[in-house]
Amino acid sequence: MTFRFTALMSASALGLLIAAPVQADTLDDLKEQGFARIAIANEPPFTAVAADGSVSGAAPDVAREVFKRLGVPEVVASISEYGAMIPGLQARRHDAITAGLFMKPERCAAVAYSEPVLCDAEAFLLPAGNPKGFASYEDIAADPEATIGAPGGGTEEKLALEAGVPRDRVIVVPDGQSGLKMLQDGRLDVYSLPVLSISDLIAKSGDDSVEMFAPVVGAPVYCDGAAFRKGDEALRDAFDVELAAMKESGEFAAIIEPYGFSAAAAMSTSRAELCGE
Amino acid sequence: MSWDWAFVWQIMPTLLQGLKITLLVTVLGAIVAAVLGLVFAVLRRSSIKPLAQGTSVLVQFIRGTPLLVQLYVIFYVLPDIGIRLPALVAGVIGIGLHYATYAAEVYRGGIEAVPRGQWEAARATNLTMRQTWAHVVLPQAVPPMIPALANYLIAMFKETPLLSAITVLELMNQAKSVANSSYRYVEPMTMVGVFFLVISLISVALISLLEARYGRKASR
Repeated sequence: MTFRFTALMSASALGLLIAAPVQADTLDDLKEQGFARIAIANEPPFTAVAADGSVSGAAPDVAREVFKRLGVPEVVASISEYGAMIPGLQARRHDAITAGLFMKPERCAAVAYSEPVLCDAEAFLLPAGNPKGFASYEDIAADPEATIGAPGGGTEEKLALEAGVPRDRVIVVPDGQSGLKMLQDGRLDVYSLPVLSISDLIAKSGDDSVEMFAPVVGAPVYCDGAAFRKGDEALRDAFDVELAAMKESGEFAAIIEPYGFSAAAAMSTSRAELCGE
Repeated sequence: MSWDWAFVWQIMPTLLQGLKITLLVTVLGAIVAAVLGLVFAVLRRSSIKPLAQGTSVLVQFIRGTPLLVQLYVIFYVLPDIGIRLPALVAGVIGIGLHYATYAAEVYRGGIEAVPRGQWEAARATNLTMRQTWAHVVLPQAVPPMIPALANYLIAMFKETPLLSAITVLELMNQAKSVANSSYRYVEPMTMVGVFFLVISLISVALISLLEARYGRKASR
């Protein structure tokens, strides 16, 4: 697995070196090399990596199917911190981000998003009974003792900071398991992720000393999209065409609904709306 | 990718905040390492066999495992047995404990480098144990230790970014969070490198001074 991964990476690096001066059409390049490199997190049900290294989750599953329809038979995923995904995309380490990286205007300015794929509201993981009564990011800002955990560079971290929680009380948590553990150990008062991610964590932990509060008051429902490099709009547009066809035919719903996502939510909004264009 | 000075100045307060924590961790870690290292060194010389052997095994164990793994154990595993340390404390203990084992070796080397004859002479002249250590052994053992200890201090300083893995908001972690929210890595990471380089170079210069002053006796 690792060897194949390395081999693929070096092959693609070599391809880049050769292809770089020409700036050929990205989709043609991807077809030729036979795979697309996608950035994922490891945050079920958005993105998940099984013990054997196989990649699933709603976002990569949609991307895999769309790329297949575009004539790119495989996707190769690498796990990344949310904040590192856009720089990685810009540095040509990935061809697309398919990770539940929610559309926000400042992200839309940095990358070319596809139409919406996965939508979810924000949630809090809290000790059972919500002893401090937290319902919004502002509530956490108002309690000078409270600490909130969130993924680095993720939407929740930004929401907490924007609500006025000082940097030293927003703990960057590497992954869901660590977040749950830190909450159980009393290192965090709140751990914030989208609703489906928190539900997944609680279900897997089987721990009734924690509970979910959702939706977080004042935080809207966000949707992600596959994110492409600025300049790769042609690839993005081709992706959108196939995505729209899958939404139309019901295949889109068939992929994401088993994970708990609502296809109707993604279809009722648009990139233009979410990016504030 | 272009370099943006305005952005550098904009993130400077955040980075300096992180640098403060990095230096704090280094100083506190060094104190833990110096004191605990001495304890290890003394215990290893203990005449009580199991104590000396136990310490030796412990030191080998800590030296033989990665600092990052030790930090994870202290931060994530100890709470399971009821020991919940704040991230900063966990980090200081982790890095201090790790480097204590290296310091212990330095102490041991320094003490063992004092020739046997010196001990015998001290006993022959009827000095007490305290006098022997204070006036005979340590004045000869300490100077050669200084450069080695100082090198470990710099090494430890450069390992503090590992603490970002257990959520300590030191320089590296602050730089990462800046990069996370701005999508720019060039300036934050370069500045982290510059801070470490400048402080390391200053420290190296200070160590050379120390060596010039005390180290001559060390060149045995």
